[in-house]
Amino acid sequence: MKLKFIILTIIGLFSLSSIAQEEISPERKQAIDSLALEKVKDLSKYISIIGNKETSFSEANRVIERTLELFDDNSQIGVSSLYRKEVKYYPVRKYLNRLMALNYDKVNIKWYNIQYISDLERQPDGTFVGVITIYQRFEGMQGDDLKYVDTTKKDITIYVKRKETIIGGRTIGFWDVILGDIRVAETSKN
Amino acid sequence: MKARLLLLLFLLSCFGILKSQIVDDFLGDEGLFYSETKQINQFFRRFNNEEAPDGIRYYKRDKEYRNPATREKYLDMLFNLQNSALTESLRNIFKADVINKDSSRFLNFHSDGWFAEVKTRFSYKGEDKFVTFFLELEQENMGYKWVITNVYFEPFAEVFFEKKSDSSKFLHPMSHEIDFMNLIRVFNNQTYIDNYTLKSFQADFLTLFLYEFKQGYFEFKYVEDLKFHFFQIPGWYFEIEQFVRSDYNSGWLISKLTKISQEEKSILLKYIYHN
Repeated sequence: MKLKFIILTIIGLFSLSSIAQEEISPERKQAIDSLALEKVKDLSKYISIIGNKETSFSEANRVIERTLELFDDNSQIGVSSLYRKEVKYYPVRKYLNRLMALNYDKVNIKWYNIQYISDLERQPDGTFVGVITIYQRFEGMQGDDLKYVDTTKKDITIYVKRKETIIGGRTIGFWDVILGDIRVAETSKN
Repeated sequence: MKARLLLLLFLLSCFGILKSQIVDDFLGDEGLFYSETKQINQFFRRFNNEEAPDGIRYYKRDKEYRNPATREKYLDMLFNLQNSALTESLRNIFKADVINKDSSRFLNFHSDGWFAEVKTRFSYKGEDKFVTFFLELEQENMGYKWVITNVYFEPFAEVFFEKKSDSSKFLHPMSHEIDFMNLIRVFNNQTYIDNYTLKSFQADFLTLFLYEFKQGYFEFKYVEDLKFHFFQIPGWYFEIEQFVRSDYNSGWLISKLTKISQEEKSILLKYIYHN
């Protein structure tokens, strides 16, 4: 799976063509989608580590820094519940710090095998933007007991930017994916 | 009832194909999530039959792209079936118009004829108030952005809609000869000030909002509700809203649908904008 992802990324994202060529073909879109999903999975993995009481304070802080690297600056996470229309907005760092402070021995984040990836639309500044929708079940454990469970729909903004890197003296253009604002809406509580 | 049954059969057939792809680490029972119209993007794609049941985009080169047979099944899924006003006969007339062999109608993300209505909560001079914004897509350079085209705010409306008419309140036609000194009578009473403006005068709430926002009277809290108005299908108006429920008929769905003439359209627009 990992190998397939790497091959897809290399084939789809790197291109020797000019940086000026900015249209995204269906094949490249598929490769960008794969990279974006990997970043979303990294985010979930990091959230599990940060929320786990067994993770040391210094390790959790290190993971928070790695998590922030996935995001565009100033990204926000907007959270609402099933019974409350109010949306609470948190800067990503604050959201992660709150997660670290939660009193769970263990946090499990389980996925539903369904995601929806929107088209990529170009913004006025030339960056492409899309939204990935995923469904996850959050389980906060205390000992062997489930203390809190909810299922949420997460709509995650992705920014896709054309970048350049130099490999073996040659300038190579590639598409990079970075996460943006996330809307978290509770869909069920059990 | 028949539509619900067909919808269920359609989704179950899709789910059967997808079930084999479920990986052990994942939770099961994704059927409801597959059927949910999860994004506005998906509403457009399903409406036009531009994606497969698993959400993979069809492109022009694909055989299924905009296929009218599958499209009809998708269209069935896009109505809020819990709204009894969306009768089967109304839905069928709409579908027939949309899938018409001679002139099929499709939604276009970048075209005019649709806009968002966003209900937000602000703190206004220390009190919680709703502000409704209307937004449209605008092209800039090679890209697009949402822009605010209109605002509705109840306290503004209370001031401007209750126009106190008094035929004795006017500036007489020779006022200019006296250097408009009679303006003193215009501005010594707040109630009748509207009587001294053009008959066709209409307050621009967006300007008022921007002014008061810049004065620091408004503080944003959160977005409470969102809906979209569509006029892209000639002769029809529909509205879409998000329905969060454990049902195959959920997500972004058509909540209102009505046949509409050009004249009715302008009346309806006034109603939507609270003009």
